[in-house]
Amino acid sequence: MERRASRPSSRRLPALHRQREHNLSNAARPIRHHAVIAALLFLLAATSPAQDWIRTGTGLGVERVRLAASDFKSSTPDPNNVNLLKTFNDTLWNDLDNAGIFDLVSKSFYPLQEPGQPSEVNFPAWNSPPPNTSMLAFGNLGAAAGRVTVQGWLYDVKNEKSPQVLGKQYADNATPDAVRVIAHKFADEIIFRLGGGVAGIAETKIYFVSERSGHKEIWMMDYDGANQQQVTHLGSISLSPRISPDGSRLAFSSINKGGWEIMMYSFDLNRMVSFPRFGGMNLSPSWSPDGKIAFSSSRSGYPNIFVVDASGGNPRRLTNDQGPDVAPTWNRKTGSQIAFVSGRTGLPQIYTMEADGTNLQRVTDQGYAVSPNWSPNGQFLTFSWERKYGPGEPGSNDLYLMDVASKQWVQLTHDAGRNDFPCWSPDGRHIVFQSHRSGSDQIWSMLADGTNVKQLTVKGANTQPNWSWK
Amino acid sequence: MAAITDFHMDDFDIYSAHSQLRRPLAWSLGLHLAFATFVVLYATFIQSFRGEGWGSGGTGDAMGATLVSAVPLPANPTETTNVLATESKGLAKSEPTVQEKEPEAIPIPDKNTKTKIKPPPVKSATQRKPQPEPPESNQIPYGEGGPVSGPYTMTAGGAKGGFGFTGSGGDFGSQFAWYVQAVQRKVTENWLKYEVDPSIREASRVYLTFDIARDGHPSNVQIEQPSNVPSLNQSALRALQRIDTFGPLPPEYSGSKVSVEFWFDYKR
Repeated sequence: MERRASRPSSRRLPALHRQREHNLSNAARPIRHHAVIAALLFLLAATSPAQDWIRTGTGLGVERVRLAASDFKSSTPDPNNVNLLKTFNDTLWNDLDNAGIFDLVSKSFYPLQEPGQPSEVNFPAWNSPPPNTSMLAFGNLGAAAGRVTVQGWLYDVKNEKSPQVLGKQYADNATPDAVRVIAHKFADEIIFRLGGGVAGIAETKIYFVSERSGHKEIWMMDYDGANQQQVTHLGSISLSPRISPDGSRLAFSSINKGGWEIMMYSFDLNRMVSFPRFGGMNLSPSWSPDGKIAFSSSRSGYPNIFVVDASGGNPRRLTNDQGPDVAPTWNRKTGSQIAFVSGRTGLPQIYTMEADGTNLQRVTDQGYAVSPNWSPNGQFLTFSWERKYGPGEPGSNDLYLMDVASKQWVQLTHDAGRNDFPCWSPDGRHIVFQSHRSGSDQIWSMLADGTNVKQLTVKGANTQPNWSWK
Repeated sequence: MAAITDFHMDDFDIYSAHSQLRRPLAWSLGLHLAFATFVVLYATFIQSFRGEGWGSGGTGDAMGATLVSAVPLPANPTETTNVLATESKGLAKSEPTVQEKEPEAIPIPDKNTKTKIKPPPVKSATQRKPQPEPPESNQIPYGEGGPVSGPYTMTAGGAKGGFGFTGSGGDFGSQFAWYVQAVQRKVTENWLKYEVDPSIREASRVYLTFDIARDGHPSNVQIEQPSNVPSLNQSALRALQRIDTFGPLPPEYSGSKVSVEFWFDYKR
């Protein structure tokens, strides 16, 4: 019986199938029409001076740019060139290597004839294995009469018709420091061009606390750890340096007769400038993108978050609880949100709120979380977190990255001592932090995915780094 | 043997009982019919003699019926403010009565009736055709990318989705391949795949178009051809919204802007 019932339907199926095929052939006709119309449109577009189009998409093998940085050549017979060239080539190589967007081709793959001029570029030697590079940075440097001239080019060697991406010429005093700055500038130009319009960080600074002078003072250095110099000479304890968005002023907290107060150093005047005293304990200042300062103050009892204008006037209280609320950090893109640490539920946790104190949200759910820092694109928070805190709990202070919208997080450091005080670089690709992995507290930097970890300081104990805004 | 004869005997008895009942049944039917005929006849003829004058006006008892309206019975309240409670038609249109459709009867499964098992409509052996192997994703293995002015640097307005040909409209793609790559890299970096519905395994391609101004700022972001997955469309739009700049257009380029068609392939 069942077999009889199923037979008609199985007989019907081929008929259905035929019908579907028929429909398909019907549908194919308009497609052919469309193709003709598209071809006509294309002919029209090709004959008229049309808008330039780029057609591209995902899944085409996104990888880092393969870049070769050929050693610059000497263009003058000056004996000083050797030292200057070494400084320049090393700095340029490090900058490009640190950028995080390049796959630098090892120098051992380079052809023997390295170019110093555009006419000397041998394209097949560069764009095929072993170097198989797509970009080539090269140039020359020459000192004469105390001045140095640097010419640098960036070539797209796989595009022989119009290879030049960049051509620059710099002139300055023939000193290693000046040459290092030139190398930073040239590297930043390359990174800016190939990195999608994000300015390089080779000329940025890092401010930090160092006690190598015997007191905890504020120091500064280049982003790669070079050129370290002392900023403050207060002879007390100075902590939490925070550079203003325009780089002209440095806020930090320092202890004096009245207790912990917010202090201000001006790089325009190269001296301390006055800033109001609020009374109580005032800690951890933080600049908003438009120049306001948030900090933690116990002027009205418990440590709460306050905001003042750049001059220190017009103080406003944002949190109102027994706290303690400390370490505020602004959303660097919008300036409309503040993340901070609060111990209102016991162990310190990260919270976010609007810049007017509303919409308070707890971000971390357990453990011991401190030192939040907001990424330049406003998307991520990085902070130090001991996820399992307490006696008998294995675990250490590690750095974490959290997507603020989705609250998804990733761990950035692993099995490497205590890590704290992360701070984003202005390009959003790097994070500088303090780590005890070498046996003492030092400043380290890494790419924002946790790779390419580099030690920046070695002397004394160095803590609480803060990266400049540009 | 005896049992068999008994059985035959019983059988015979049943049939004889049937024939015995036939006569009383006929009597019963006849009497019932007679009674029914009597009732009908009585109602039509006899009743007319007895019930003469009931409610037919004239003299006597019928007066009471006509007086009923004059009896001061408690009247129905004619005016009511509650519109919903009144039966009179108001100004407002009353809602049409919805004809409630009776739910279709669901046959109670019965083990005696045979259930027909429908064959699956599509997955039939007769319909399956030898399909060509799906093309490999055009991801380029590391180091085998070839010249950067390769297939993904399209130029010239008008044609859609084609590869490898250039028109006279301009050759931005071949001249500034590095810029095209930077755009591609930046969009891909800012595309967060976890924003796509996690239950989706594969989605059709979504095409976005946007312009890049001289300063590198993207504008005029539009979905040219949406995917069948709305969350993928949304994630693609968001990727573009996250990008402030692609970096200024190459200074050697003379145009004021570049238009980009960008597609997003999603595969979990």
